[in-house]
Amino acid sequence: MNIFHEIYSTYFRVASEILKLPHITEKSIHKMIEKESFRDSALFLPQKLIPQNDCSDWGLLKKDSSGGLVPIIKNKPIEILTEIQKQWIKSKLDDPKIKLFLENDTLVSLKKRLENVKPFYRSEHFRYTDRFSDGDDFRDELYQKNFRKILNALKSHEILEITFISGRNKRISGKYIPLKIQYSAKNDRFRLFCFSLKDGEVFHSGVINIGRIERIENTNENYEKDISTDEYFRKRKCINPVTICVTEERNAKERFFMEFAPYEKCTLSDSEDEKCIVKIWYDYQEETELLIRLLSFGPVIEILEPPEFRCQAKERIKRQYDLLNKNRRP
Amino acid sequence: MGGFSELIKSFDKTRDYIRDFFIYGLKVRNDFDRKSLRTYDDEKRRIESWFGDYVKYDRSERGQKVSITVDSGTVSENPLYKAYRSKSFTDNDIKLHFFIIDVLHNGESLTLKEIVSDIDKNYNEIFDVQTIRNKLKEYVKEGIITSGKKGKASCFRLSTDRVNEFLHDYDGLADAIKFFSETQKFGIVGNSILESARLKNNLFVMKHNYIVHTLEDIIIPEIISAIEQKKYISIISFKAKNNKINNNNQVIPMKIFSSVQTGRRYIVGYIPAVKCFHSFRLDFIKSVRTGDICDEYDSIYEKFSHDLNYCFGVSFGSGKIETTVIVFFADEKCEKFVIDRLKREKRNGVLEKIDDNLFRLTVKAFDSFEVMQWVKSFTGRIISVTGDNKYAIDRFYNDISKMYSMYGGEEQ
Repeated sequence: MNIFHEIYSTYFRVASEILKLPHITEKSIHKMIEKESFRDSALFLPQKLIPQNDCSDWGLLKKDSSGGLVPIIKNKPIEILTEIQKQWIKSKLDDPKIKLFLENDTLVSLKKRLENVKPFYRSEHFRYTDRFSDGDDFRDELYQKNFRKILNALKSHEILEITFISGRNKRISGKYIPLKIQYSAKNDRFRLFCFSLKDGEVFHSGVINIGRIERIENTNENYEKDISTDEYFRKRKCINPVTICVTEERNAKERFFMEFAPYEKCTLSDSEDEKCIVKIWYDYQEETELLIRLLSFGPVIEILEPPEFRCQAKERIKRQYDLLNKNRRP
Repeated sequence: MGGFSELIKSFDKTRDYIRDFFIYGLKVRNDFDRKSLRTYDDEKRRIESWFGDYVKYDRSERGQKVSITVDSGTVSENPLYKAYRSKSFTDNDIKLHFFIIDVLHNGESLTLKEIVSDIDKNYNEIFDVQTIRNKLKEYVKEGIITSGKKGKASCFRLSTDRVNEFLHDYDGLADAIKFFSETQKFGIVGNSILESARLKNNLFVMKHNYIVHTLEDIIIPEIISAIEQKKYISIISFKAKNNKINNNNQVIPMKIFSSVQTGRRYIVGYIPAVKCFHSFRLDFIKSVRTGDICDEYDSIYEKFSHDLNYCFGVSFGSGKIETTVIVFFADEKCEKFVIDRLKREKRNGVLEKIDDNLFRLTVKAFDSFEVMQWVKSFTGRIISVTGDNKYAIDRFYNDISKMYSMYGGEEQ
């Protein structure tokens, strides 16, 4: 068994979708390939699906009297849950987060259905070396209830009334439109990305830690206007990216590029073995997190711009330098 | 480009190229000296075909740089999963896939002879019996078909676990798969279920999301299987020159270590040749081969479990435990968030309040350098650092001086 198998391939999937249709034209095949497959598939896939005079096609479609194409198979292809897929689901049933999605009786029944399936992996095969220890309590019933309310509202575009404790320890209540649920593997926490509403109109973009929610009420009102997740992320992105000089010292380039792989970035200049200049775009509300991560690299990287970001680094370093000098080692 | 195919037979080479394009994005054509420039051109073209808009081009003095750029905190599906959807196959593979599923469609149990005859009759295609037998055997292993006996003959029927029915039967399962398909630990498998059900994750986004980890999912099952069976493994690395340990080492695998902050993942194992635990970067591993059963597995695992108490990150150093003591300043009235940070990030360290606004953290670990890397994230709040590893501590003090001077201060 292997996940890198042709049964999971794009070509098989596109062929399956085409064979589900009782009748299809060559034009529709081209369109479907363009939409569902890789960029260059249009050069390779159509001639394997559309009957060719030299019989070099796969023989899965034949021409009918109207000039269109019909599947050679008698029934619509069926998608079977493979052994690997069942094993993977079985492994997930031991993850505490599964209870956010499945009610207890559903979980019991699914476990019974998969009782003869070997799990794909067990949680003890893995160790997170630096995950924070104060993650959300996924076993907490109120947490599970809140999570499901949010999930349902997200799917139906329902407006929710939420009361939560903010990061600054203030109780906040308001109406919110859920956009996405964010999970952080580092924090082991879920947060709700949402727009807050004022007088029925989108007021501003917000983030609510699900673990800090005290109460959620359904409003049974849906937000009917278009809301854009792209717009939400765009609003949260910094105006000026941070520019960093990365040296080769202590394998800094490799460490830096790996650690900051999740960020949108651009490498401006580099020479083969020396320094390179990188621009990183970030969520402006996560600025402090980015700053402390950059500082942990020490002198092998340097924050160049923007001036206010560099200034924050400078202030912390000066404070640190002064502290060490004041408490000089014997 | 004659003979170019966007499909690939093996994942190894492609993995290495995607990683270089995605992680670094600063290499030019001549930097890829592993094989030939023709290979580079083919791999680049495939990557462009699979990842489309995520591929970016920049000019540099050394030539054109190709990179895969993704703000992974905002995407709903890991774009690198597409690489897994590119396995090459033969014409017979795809024909038999649809023909076999079609002849078994009504749930009936058929013998090999009946299946061969039905395929011939229904689709006017004649296949070698052995070819169909092999395909049936393969599909039994994959779980698409179940096998049984009809009299003395083997018979085959389609599995009753149909994707859509399965998701329909268990309320909430589809949402759970949407979530887990974007998390570590083989999200690619969950994504394959969504693809079969024509679903997409439209609910979740991931923070601190190292999408490149999926490229390692191809080798981890072999490691997990070896752990389960308490067997040795041999590790073949991409870049042996970067590894201190020789290529093709005999290793007794213990656990997969994952850093959610640095993005690195490792297989940690015991190396009998040097009698110590060692971590190997998963992204540098080309392939893993399972060896014989290790008779001493349980006793080694017991020692490993004990040693974990002194492993701050992934390093087991020389096996000698070093103590590092750090005193932090945090204003208890208005900087509780700093104290909270210390509590949740200290791992095996012991945190004590020693005076007003002063907190002492004592860490006993195999590698003080790992501790100091983390300590530097508290720059601006460290009163003092003392401990056994003078070199690591001196480096910290020197680093602060260097940074002070780098940012415009005058070094004293």
